[in-house]
Order: sequence, then C-alpha cells, then structure tokens
Amino acid sequence: MNHDQLSSLTWFFIGAAICAVSLTYKLGTLSSPGTGFMPFLSGGAISVFAVLGFFHATLRKKGGEGEGPLFRGVNWPKALIVFLSLCAYALLFFPLGFLLCTTLFIAFLLRAITPQRWPWVLGCSLAAAMASYLVFEVWLKAQLPKGILGI
Amino acid sequence: MDFFASAMLGFQVAFQPVNILFCFIGVLTGTLVGVLPGLGPVAAMSLLLPTTFHMTPVSAVILLAGIYYGAMYGGSTTSILVNIPGEAASVVTCLDGYQMARRGRAGPALGISAFGSFIAGSFSIVGLMLIGPFLAESALKFGPPEYFSLMILGLTLLTFLASGPMWKALLMAAFGLFLSTVGMDNVTGVVRLSFKIEELVDGVGLVPVVMGLFGISEVLLNVEGTMERSIFQAKIRNLLPNLKDWADSIGPILRGTVLGFFLGVLPGGGAVISSFVSYAVEKRISKHPEKFGTGLIEGVAGPESANNAATGGAFIPLLSLGIPANAVMALLLGALIIHGIQPGPLMMKQHPDIFWGTVASMYLGNLLLLFLNLPLIGIWVRLLKVPYPFLFPLILLFCLIGSYSLNNSIVDVAIMILFGLIGYFFRKFRYEAAPLVLALVLGPMMENSLRQALLMANGNPATFFQRPISGVLLGAALVLVILPLLPRFHRKAISPE
Repeated sequence: MNHDQLSSLTWFFIGAAICAVSLTYKLGTLSSPGTGFMPFLSGGAISVFAVLGFFHATLRKKGGEGEGPLFRGVNWPKALIVFLSLCAYALLFFPLGFLLCTTLFIAFLLRAITPQRWPWVLGCSLAAAMASYLVFEVWLKAQLPKGILGI
Repeated sequence: MDFFASAMLGFQVAFQPVNILFCFIGVLTGTLVGVLPGLGPVAAMSLLLPTTFHMTPVSAVILLAGIYYGAMYGGSTTSILVNIPGEAASVVTCLDGYQMARRGRAGPALGISAFGSFIAGSFSIVGLMLIGPFLAESALKFGPPEYFSLMILGLTLLTFLASGPMWKALLMAAFGLFLSTVGMDNVTGVVRLSFKIEELVDGVGLVPVVMGLFGISEVLLNVEGTMERSIFQAKIRNLLPNLKDWADSIGPILRGTVLGFFLGVLPGGGAVISSFVSYAVEKRISKHPEKFGTGLIEGVAGPESANNAATGGAFIPLLSLGIPANAVMALLLGALIIHGIQPGPLMMKQHPDIFWGTVASMYLGNLLLLFLNLPLIGIWVRLLKVPYPFLFPLILLFCLIGSYSLNNSIVDVAIMILFGLIGYFFRKFRYEAAPLVLALVLGPMMENSLRQALLMANGNPATFFQRPISGVLLGAALVLVILPLLPRFHRKAISPE
C-alpha cells in the first residue's frame, strides 16, 4: 500500500466516524437543517474525497510510480523528543509555573537536540525565561501561572 | 462622502503621531517576522493581538496590518541570502534570489525585491481605495445564497491552485469545515462535538490550529533534518538595480502586481499562491525559461511584487464584504470584532475612519518599509546567523505563550501541540494545510449562509443556481472542479518546476 492509499483509507474511516457522530445530533430537513447537518455533510465529503483519493493512488501505483519510506534519511527521534517535551511543558505548566517550566524546557531542548555546552544552556534558558516573563507577564499582563515558585 | 474627502480623512487618521508610531512598530515587527524562518505573520499577529486590546480600533488594525505587509518585505531577505524562506509567500524567491546571491548579485536581488514590493504595494492600495467602496455597494445586494456561493468559490479556487492532487486539497477543506462546526450551533444553541470540554464550546480556536499546523510542524520537520544553513558571507553591495535589471524587471513587476492584486482579492487566493502563479507565468512567457532557477532577476521581481500586491487585495473582501480571504485576514476580522466593529458593506459608512485610516496607513507603511529595509539588511543578516538549535526553542516558546495567552487556557496549548503533530504528518503525506485553515475560518459563515438560504427557499437547493450572482459564482466553482479532469488542463502541481 502506498502513502496515499494508506492516508486516504484513514481519512475514509475518519469521515465515516464524523458522519456517525453527527447522526447523534438532529440532521433536520432541507427546509430546516439541524445541528448535525453541517458536520454530517463535511464528514460525508471527507469520505467521498478519500474514496476518490484511494482510486487515484491505486491508479498511480499501477502506473508504476514508486515512493520511498517517509522516515528514511531523517532523524525522526529528534522530532519525537521535541513533541514529547512540548507535551511535558503543557503538563507541568501549572504545577511548576511559567518561569521554572520555561527554563527547564529551553535547557532540555538545548541539551537534547544538538547538545550545547552547559554554560550556554544555563545562560540561554535563564535569559529566555526571564525575558519572556518580563515581556508577557510584567509588560503585557498575560497572567502566566506562578506555580511552586509563587512568582 | 466623496472619494477625495474620504482619502483625506484617511490620511488625517494615519498621520496622527500615535498611528505613525504603531505603523512603524507594525512594519518593523513584520519585517523581523518575515526574516525569521518559522515565525510567520499569523503567529506574530496572534501573539500581539492581546496587546491591541487597549488601543483604539484604528491603531490596532494599523499595527496588525503593518505586520502583515511588513512580513512580505522581510520574507525575501532570508530567501535571497540563506535559501530559507522566512515566510511562505517567499518560497519561490529562493529559486532565483539565492542563485543571484551566489553569483555576487545579492544587492540587486534585494533591491529589486524591495522596489518591486513598493510598487506593487502602492498599486494594490490604490486598487483597494477604488474597488473597496464599489464592492461594498454591490455587496448590499448579496443575500445568504450569494455569500455561500462566494465562499464555495473561494475554497474551490484555493484547492484548484494548491499543489498536489485536488482530492487532497478538497479533503483538507472538508476537514476544515468539520472543525469549524465544533462548539455551539449559532442557530439552535446546541453544543456539538465538544466532548464536554468547556473550552470547545466556543469552537476550535483559529490561532492554536494555525500555530500548530504551520509553526510547530515546521520546527518538528526542521529538527529531524540537518538544521544547517549557509548564509551568504560576502559583503552586500549595489542595492540599487542597474538599468538592465530595471528593463528585465519592470514587466514582471507590473504583471506580478496585477496578478497578485486580483488573486489576493479572491477568498482563498493570497500572497503564497500569487507568488507561485507569478513565477509560473514569468517562466511560461519567458524567451529563455530554461534559465529560470539559475539566478534570473525576473524570478525575483515577479513573485515579490505579486505577494505584496496580494496583501492589499486581501483587504478588499474583509473590509467590504466581511469575508476574510486568508488566515491573516481572519485574525484581523477577529481583532475588529473584539473592538466592537463588524467588517462588511456598512463598515465604510459607519466607521470611515477605520477603513480609510487603515488604507492610508498602508501608503505610509510601504514608504517606511522602503526606507527601513535596505539600510537594515545588515542587521537582519546578523540575526539570521543565530544558529537554529538556539532559535527553534524560542520559536516553540513564542508559540506556547501565544496560544496560552489568548484565553489563559492550557486547552489551547494542547490543541496547538496536537495540530503540530497533525501538521507534521500532513507535510509527510503531502497534504496542504491552507485549505483547512480557510475552511475553518469561513466554516461558521458558510454554515449560517447555507442554512439561511435553505430556510428562505423552503429547502429548495436550486435557489443557489436560480439567483444570478449566486449561479455565476457556483458555475465558476464548478468549472474549477471540472477543469483538472480535462486532459488539456490536467494540472501539475503549481510549482515553479
């Protein structure tokens, strides 16, 4: 199965699921469309375009068009680390507070992705956290969470 | 109020010291945003949106508009000097701009880009002044069927012009429409698809989705790559293009201006598409198309003019119809609504100071950009030398704070991260996010128009074809869908190749 076949198949099921969920709301009639009308329409459209895409991809495959693996030649674990660190930031944002959480976040990324020297890591992470704190909390009054440090 | 009195009012508003200051801050921030890869005008405008809450509406719009067209100027700098587009609309400038820089002609490339942008930007403002009021008058004849058909045409046009197979673009638009239905149904008041998450009652926020799809996914793709940049090292000289450069560029500048302006006006058009189409046109009509991509000044002048002309054009549907042509305009729409102003046909009558003040400020902004950009190029180059391993954590931090500070909600941050991952896979599987974003923006208006039109016509869908304006708009959309099926028009991706 090529990439487009795989993705279109996934989209078909997503569209079908949207249609199924939409049915739990009222579809209404054409003269008085209900709450579920538009979600049902868009879910149906997703499934229809996915079927078209599947046929298109199948024809391309039969025509001999090849494609390489999606993750060949790239360092995908780095992208995964960045993604997980974003999730961790969101989870720790309130418990740790903006300043501490941001310092740790920047320091981790500077160390983990392309390892920098510790003085750079500490200096940059503290400077970035402090500068953004001054701009967003002090100047723009963004009401960032205070966390365990209380600031 | 006649045209000249309106224009004079606009200049009076724009030349108030406070508005000159905000215009200056806007274009400077926009240029910076355009220069920095990974941080586009949408992200920057959404970051700065909360700061405008204390301003007058006209100052807020002048600032935000300045960021938009400032980014178009700045985006070319990175394309030419680093071969990395600072902004999506400058992608195509890389092809010939960087090659010119490698041949020691970075100066003329940057110069023609700035002058072309100025000419195109000025023309598009004149167009906005002339066409905006006329369209607003005509829009008073628009009912729900016409609005619905216009938005369908906009979405179809975007999918027609998007790169890759059309089914992918249409699928993205359908997914965007679905996302726009999350939250409270405006007609019945029923909350749908919110999965009992309180923050989703108001719907999926545009800003977290856009930041995720464009900002976070860009970083994820960059970090798994090499993260190396080759910055043009030699001194940049002769920023003023010579006579031959002007002779070669004037045609592409004028064509790019007209093309960009009209593509910018159409919902779904915009700066990115304009620059690609301009490049394709220049290559098509050139006597030596094989030389494109090797450092031709036409390949810089056309697209850079087109993307700047499109910025002015994009204001027309927003200010005269209340329909945002792209994600940036959607943010401006949001800003205006926050300030209690509803863009649309009546805006010019009810708030002439905002319409004409914004337009006049764009003249000022374009002049500021011309005089600011060329002397500041040295500073931008130094800024670009910040290594990406240091830059990307800051981009992520901006995105995190930006999405959080919209509503002080961690749910928005979670949505942004989720769409960052989704955007990463979209890019891997070659799905374009632009139709999704436009559909997300237009979705609520489309749904309302569709339901109102059907109610008015007692459920008869033929109403969309029976009303002349609506019928013409839908017919045009239909042609765009059918065209790619015909062998003669079987489209290849709108790519410069």
